[in-house]
Amino acid sequence: MSPIDPRLQEALDGERDPGELPTDLREAHARLIAAAQLVSGTPQLSVAARVMAEIRQNPARVEAGSPLLRSIRWLGRPVTVRLRPAWTLALAAGLAAILLLPFGPGGPVPGVTKFVGHFPGARSVEVVGSFNDWSRGALALNDDDHDGIWHADAVLPAGQHEYMFVVDGERWVPDPLAGRYVDDGFGEGQQNSLLIVRPAAAQP
Amino acid sequence: MRVRLAFALGLAAAPLTAQNGNPRLAGRVPPAALPAIDSIIAAAVAESLPTEPLVQKALEGGAKNVPADRLVNGVRRGLLQLRAARVIVARAVPGQAPPEGHVAAVSAALARGLPAPIVERLLTVAPNEAPGPALHAAADLIAHRFDPDSAADLLVDAHNKGLRAGRLLDVAVAADHELQRGGGRSPSEALAHVRAMLPNVPFPKRP
Repeated sequence: MSPIDPRLQEALDGERDPGELPTDLREAHARLIAAAQLVSGTPQLSVAARVMAEIRQNPARVEAGSPLLRSIRWLGRPVTVRLRPAWTLALAAGLAAILLLPFGPGGPVPGVTKFVGHFPGARSVEVVGSFNDWSRGALALNDDDHDGIWHADAVLPAGQHEYMFVVDGERWVPDPLAGRYVDDGFGEGQQNSLLIVRPAAAQP
Repeated sequence: MRVRLAFALGLAAAPLTAQNGNPRLAGRVPPAALPAIDSIIAAAVAESLPTEPLVQKALEGGAKNVPADRLVNGVRRGLLQLRAARVIVARAVPGQAPPEGHVAAVSAALARGLPAPIVERLLTVAPNEAPGPALHAAADLIAHRFDPDSAADLLVDAHNKGLRAGRLLDVAVAADHELQRGGGRSPSEALAHVRAMLPNVPFPKRP
């Protein structure tokens, strides 16, 4: 350790006026005083400690807003998601299976049905049944080539459906090609046609 | 204060008023028939029976302009059929509440004229599967002049060989084709022929 100049020591101790010191010692004195002031001041906190102190002092500024507002802010905040290609493909395949494959037994799985009827001279033919709550005007048959053969394709829920043709808006007629019939239960022996729709996925 | 109380009570009662009657029937069924139909449907709800077949029957009667008294009778007949169906399901599938889907399917099969013992037998073979296709297959066979017990035997065989759901309907179609084939084949011969080809009955043609 190099010994300090006695004149500088005296100036630091306040026993000598720093202005009487030579130029080099006067500059050294000024640097030492500045350093001493830094050391003797309020200790500086680390950055993390200062941030935590700020949070503790102003919690409202960080947690401002209702839970709903915070949720909305969270939804709008951009995030970075890292995905592995294999997992991404597996996830996509799972979603496709859910969307494209039929539900379990009894679920609303649709099947395709073709209605055909021979009604020469008819002005209109429609199908009314349990698949459309027996509503008129929901499923009309067409005879574009005017050969008397009316037809329509429909996607219906899988399962059993009762139905009838309504010709010219007033005449209720069972489907002669249905193959299955059931008494309509209203006491006059009229029969509904019976249709069993299979799920599209079950058809070969 | 009284006005506010009356208003509050009115608001509280509004949902209860709205629950009276099935909203799908409003305007679709003769007003004279509605109270009776509502009470039939309420009875079905109280007995945990499916109500959709009854709603459909009421809508059907309304669409066909069936007179109110016959319409109500038709819906009531539906309720009786559902009750009979539940008894059969409970006997065939003991130890659990009769599933509504089973009850509705059995009711539909009874409406097609399928004998109750045949229904019960087919339910017993596959108690946890949707019974509709097997019951319709049996009803199809009986409608085509096959003996009910022999028809049930064939369907049980088909089930035991792995055929399920719509494929049981294909068994009935195959039997009918065998019967229609030339050469004067009897129903029992046709059934025997189909039994020999199980489980490889032909698939139906696409619509």
